[in-house]
Amino acid sequence: MAAYDPDGFFCELFGGAAGGANPAHAAKIIERLNQLDIAALRRRAGDAKQELFNLGITFTVYTDRDSIDRILPFDVIPRVLSREDWRIIETGVKQRIAALNAFLHDVYHDAHVLKDGIVPAELVRGNENYRPEMEGVDLPHGTYIHICGTDIVRDDDGNFCVLEDNGRTPSGVSYVVENRHLMMRAFPDLADGVRIADVDMYGEKLARTMEGIAPAGIANPEIVVLSPGIYNSAYFEHVFLAREMGVALVEGRDLVVENDKVFMKTTSGRAPVHVIYRRLNDDFLDPKAFRPDSMLGVPGLFGAYVKGNVTLANAVGTGVADDKAVYAYVPRLIKYYLDEDPILPNVPTNICRERDGLARTLADLENLVTKPVGEAGGVGVVIGPRASRRELAKLRAKLNADPDNYVSQPMVKLSVCPTLIGRAIEPRHVDLRPFALTAQDTWVLPGGLTRVALKRGSLVVNSSQGGGSKDTWVLV
Amino acid sequence: MSSLSARFAENVYWLARYVERAENIARIIHINETYARDDPGGPDWARVVELYADGERFAQNHETADAASVVHFYVLDKDNPTSIRSAIAQARENARSVRHLISTEMWTHINMFHSRLQSMTRTDVRSANLSRVATSLICDCQTFEGIIEGTFVRGEPWCFFQAGKTLERADQTTRILDMGYGRLAAAEGEAAHAIRRAVLLRSVSGYYAFRARHPAASQSSDIAMFLLYDRQFPRSVSLCVARLSERLRELQNRHGAKISADVEKARRALEFSLETGPGAELSAARLHDLLDQFQISLGRVSDALATVYFNQ
Repeated sequence: MAAYDPDGFFCELFGGAAGGANPAHAAKIIERLNQLDIAALRRRAGDAKQELFNLGITFTVYTDRDSIDRILPFDVIPRVLSREDWRIIETGVKQRIAALNAFLHDVYHDAHVLKDGIVPAELVRGNENYRPEMEGVDLPHGTYIHICGTDIVRDDDGNFCVLEDNGRTPSGVSYVVENRHLMMRAFPDLADGVRIADVDMYGEKLARTMEGIAPAGIANPEIVVLSPGIYNSAYFEHVFLAREMGVALVEGRDLVVENDKVFMKTTSGRAPVHVIYRRLNDDFLDPKAFRPDSMLGVPGLFGAYVKGNVTLANAVGTGVADDKAVYAYVPRLIKYYLDEDPILPNVPTNICRERDGLARTLADLENLVTKPVGEAGGVGVVIGPRASRRELAKLRAKLNADPDNYVSQPMVKLSVCPTLIGRAIEPRHVDLRPFALTAQDTWVLPGGLTRVALKRGSLVVNSSQGGGSKDTWVLV
Repeated sequence: MSSLSARFAENVYWLARYVERAENIARIIHINETYARDDPGGPDWARVVELYADGERFAQNHETADAASVVHFYVLDKDNPTSIRSAIAQARENARSVRHLISTEMWTHINMFHSRLQSMTRTDVRSANLSRVATSLICDCQTFEGIIEGTFVRGEPWCFFQAGKTLERADQTTRILDMGYGRLAAAEGEAAHAIRRAVLLRSVSGYYAFRARHPAASQSSDIAMFLLYDRQFPRSVSLCVARLSERLRELQNRHGAKISADVEKARRALEFSLETGPGAELSAARLHDLLDQFQISLGRVSDALATVYFNQ
């Protein structure tokens, strides 16, 4: 640890580059880490890795002949959040979800926000994630996003900002809990005498949330988790959720809809189902309502949903709120619906469909990250500082031709965290995905999933591109 | 009322069957490698292939049934659905589907067992290592049973698990008895006879159990009666059937699984085929007919379970 140098970035353990931030909260943990030599650290990391395989906390990669189990790499040095940091995140996430739920209810009902010109109507109604089928459908408590996993990063100055609101089927919460278990087995001594917020109650809170959104008049609702099946890369998490709630994990073929009511096929015949935590995208839910070729869904499910006989979590059509295009407007939505200033700001975003935004983008193209709003998974993103002159010229032409399709943002210098890399401890960039549950009110699981980009200098934390995870400690 | 998903009932049933099957195959290989060596004809590896009626598939890729080819076929061969590796891979897939219903220890064990098998090579199952490896495979299966005993909640999934296990065990014992008894009848001389009796008994882990129950000089027919009807030996056919019946009744009476005339009919037919018995003069041919009839009844019970509970 002595040789560790955060390389000019904000460090989650040691604070700001200039040593300005007060790392007092982490002092005890730093001291403990200092007492461990690299060999001991590596040995414990090896044990933790083996345990992930043994417990089958894996995702499976299939080839023609074989299946290979992979783990999400786990780094044994925890990411520590002070009480103050956590308060900002917690209140900020709650505020954001309140605004997003209000927005969703509004766009699927009276659409004041569009009439008042806060968000361009075509941006919402022309969005491929907008579900006209949801217009006029009333949901328990008016809640659309029951489970949310907001992606948050921290900039050079140590300020948090939101990168993305994941309001469809955010994944990763199983790793939050399993990482903690792993950590407590591998490093019980590291946390000794340090009070860390517990994460074990997630399953119970989730079950309460699901009960809280059951159709009216159902006293003991039957809850299920709906998974695409064992070949899905997040299957481990689906198992985790079902086990933690103590409910059945089903696939579409286990359910059947009769007279707009949903039933599970059991060994004693059909048993009613009232709440479905679905880990299927809208498209696949019901071949009668959406993609007719979906083999994963349940024919007639959407009809039962619209009738109010079953609640889906998350609601159908939330994708319009966590979309890249709408993201840019979220600070304004917070102001519009809650009359508050955002606690967690966005990464500053230039909306190119607005004249000022386009001008700012064109003036600073070589320093900005420019993104087409209609694409997913990083398609078409141009990172100014890394783009050639030709690429920038091409982008400039596209922006002038179709400014509505673009937003731009400054490069965010993600904070770093000490991470065990080979035989050394080096800084690696991290983000944070806290998980929030909402029936009527919102509860945020203290901590969240810290993803870490294991490649030196990389800002990409996705597991498919060399990302790993860390345990996240919220001090209490 | 039961709320066990039909699919999970099927998964847990097959999880049990595959592990039970793997244990039996491992034991057969172990016994053939060690105790059958003394047989005047040497260890007969073809009999293992015959036992599981895999002759045709085996012949597609192998010219002779020797130790190396048969052991590979039944332990490591991924393309052979009846190999131990395939059985445990299937068991794990089934366990994965019901992972939220079984204990963490059950899942972890089957997962680690599977991963040990995945990394096993031809060297590991060479003659010099085979006995040790086969013993460890048996031990892995038996450990699984111990974990079930200690951690698996005695609810509906457990009943389906036990139903699968007892049914598979009865099936394995009848196969082994059928084959072994035929070989006993064909044995020439006292020595060959003694060896084949021991091989038969050890193939179902029943050598000492039989000794304890039949201390005096015994007939081959005593062994057959022991494997069929002993009420204390855990792998005897009638004990398996009794346990199977108990679990099926428990499913319907205590756990609210559908009460089905089809299942009841198949179960009674199974008991009946056993009660009829082989008659006083126990010839290999007569025993074979009885076991044949019994296997058909066993298949009907399994089919009835599938129709009534699994595929609705």
